[in-house]
Amino acid sequence: MFCVGCGTPVSEGQNFCRNCGHAVKHAAPAAAAPPAPAPPVASAEPRVVPSTPPPQAPSPVPHAAGPHGRCEWCGAEVDLSLGSCPRCGATLKMSSAKTPSGWTELPGRKDMAKLQIGNSTCQIEGLYVPVADLNLAAGDGVYFTHHVLLWKDTNIAVTTMGLKGGWTRVMAGLPLVMTQAVGPGRIAFSKDQPGEIIPLALQPGQSVDVREHMLLTATSNVAYDWFQTGIWFVTQEGNDSETHYPVGRYMDRFYAPTPGLLLLHAGGNIFVRDLAPGQTILVKPTALVFKDPTVDMHLHFEHPAGIFSMWRSWSNRYLWLRLTGPGRVAIQSVFEHIEGEARNMTRWSNATATRW
Amino acid sequence: MNEKSALACRACGAPLDIRNLVSESGWREAPRIRDMTEIHFNASTCQVEGEIVPTAEINLGAGDGIFFEHHVMLWKEERVGMSVMQLPGGLKRAFAGMPFIISMASGPGRIAFSRDATGELIVLPLHPGMELDVREHAFLLCSHQVAYSFVRIKGLSNILFGGQGMYMDRFVTTGAPGLLVLHGYGNVFERRLNAGESIMLEPGAFLYKDSSVTMDVEFQKLGTGFFGGATMSLARVTGPGRVGIQSMYVHHHTE
Repeated sequence: MFCVGCGTPVSEGQNFCRNCGHAVKHAAPAAAAPPAPAPPVASAEPRVVPSTPPPQAPSPVPHAAGPHGRCEWCGAEVDLSLGSCPRCGATLKMSSAKTPSGWTELPGRKDMAKLQIGNSTCQIEGLYVPVADLNLAAGDGVYFTHHVLLWKDTNIAVTTMGLKGGWTRVMAGLPLVMTQAVGPGRIAFSKDQPGEIIPLALQPGQSVDVREHMLLTATSNVAYDWFQTGIWFVTQEGNDSETHYPVGRYMDRFYAPTPGLLLLHAGGNIFVRDLAPGQTILVKPTALVFKDPTVDMHLHFEHPAGIFSMWRSWSNRYLWLRLTGPGRVAIQSVFEHIEGEARNMTRWSNATATRW
Repeated sequence: MNEKSALACRACGAPLDIRNLVSESGWREAPRIRDMTEIHFNASTCQVEGEIVPTAEINLGAGDGIFFEHHVMLWKEERVGMSVMQLPGGLKRAFAGMPFIISMASGPGRIAFSRDATGELIVLPLHPGMELDVREHAFLLCSHQVAYSFVRIKGLSNILFGGQGMYMDRFVTTGAPGLLVLHGYGNVFERRLNAGESIMLEPGAFLYKDSSVTMDVEFQKLGTGFFGGATMSLARVTGPGRVGIQSMYVHHHTE
């Protein structure tokens, strides 16, 4: 037989997989043992893929029958005998990787980890550019920007969702069209960048601010709004001046009146930390993924010592985003170049500075 | 036939000690080929090296050959002979943006290939009598026994909005088996559609399909109240046969 967590062969006497620690489920003696999945063997015929299973209702929320505990990532009370948290997909048996500096890496997730969203489920497939494959129950819905749609069942309809301030969104480069899909049926999403899917389980009354273009999908009960970041600087070249928004002109704000789920996609690896009240951290502005609304942010300039300050040279300053707690912040390890960073800045939004 | 102690399939490199990962919706994840896995074809071997942007290193036996688009070649030994495959319809290919030149390398010697993005190598042993359609520029290399041609995508809307240009590569095996290695961006998933079964795909995600699978682009109007809104195009693929997709799709902008 094989471990259901990682596929490693396990013997009959084993209670746990030696590779991943997953509990081995032995068939009840009275019941007929299911045939063990045979390893694939080479043959002259193409490898046969199981045909599409018939549509089925998503399974109910797994009952917490085993030893109770809390998921370190989303805080949900879970049955620790499960391999993955049914709320966010985080591997339960792995202690979270926390750096001495206080950053916690997004918890590992087994390929094909399954999340429960009300009566619907979401399976996260793949490790380089993961896919969120949702099986929506009747009446359950999600919304998303249409360019993240990877595939869908033919019976699931995609419609547009009304958004306020359409003209301002167009001017700001935000997606004008937010689309939604309602179950029953299957629909899948992915983004065109190697990275990680971040499941954010929102508790009733909880809000989170997300940098624009990070959203993969959200359950339809989560309210979507957006606000001006107030983070900008103006560069001047000759008679031309240009305004730059290093974290985007707008940020998305999601609010959950009832428990909801947000799926974000960010580039590279994701790291999260909790800032204490008044605690600050400097991050690259384009690395920001999400933050709690309680976290304040503004620009910060650092001028290194011992470098001759050349006109229009980047070397006379570093541009940071200064985040002040309390609250959570998350960053991605792949971030874009800040446009205009090296140019002559004439004006900027509220900022602090350090001269070494 | 693989030996009982083998950890990976000789023909396609799939790990033999790990079960297939199949999602509940029926997509099978392409087997994650272990670093340094060796695959055998004819008198040659292909070793898959690396995992993030993997390389296919071919050790060509005497008399064996492979063909490929020249921009995917990573390195080669000097003794590996090079030639150019004669292709019909060269002018059409040039206008369609397809590679005008398909290069051929002949053994003995070593030659290696990779593509410029994070992804997976899909090793497809082709058995006699198979026909496979592949997104243009997605094939990394193919053994010389396989016949290579290209098929024009039917329908103007399919060409304009299908997100994959005018042509698809077609690989056909007649009498002898062959090996085809593709590179998919991100993760690759495969699904077998029953006869008449359909699924809607982001056109940029399409990677390969059996020639029995049909593909047509359909449009959906997304009304916004501004300038007539936007249009979303999705490809309807209908079985019977296999279809492969990549999760980091080549995005074609909404028109």
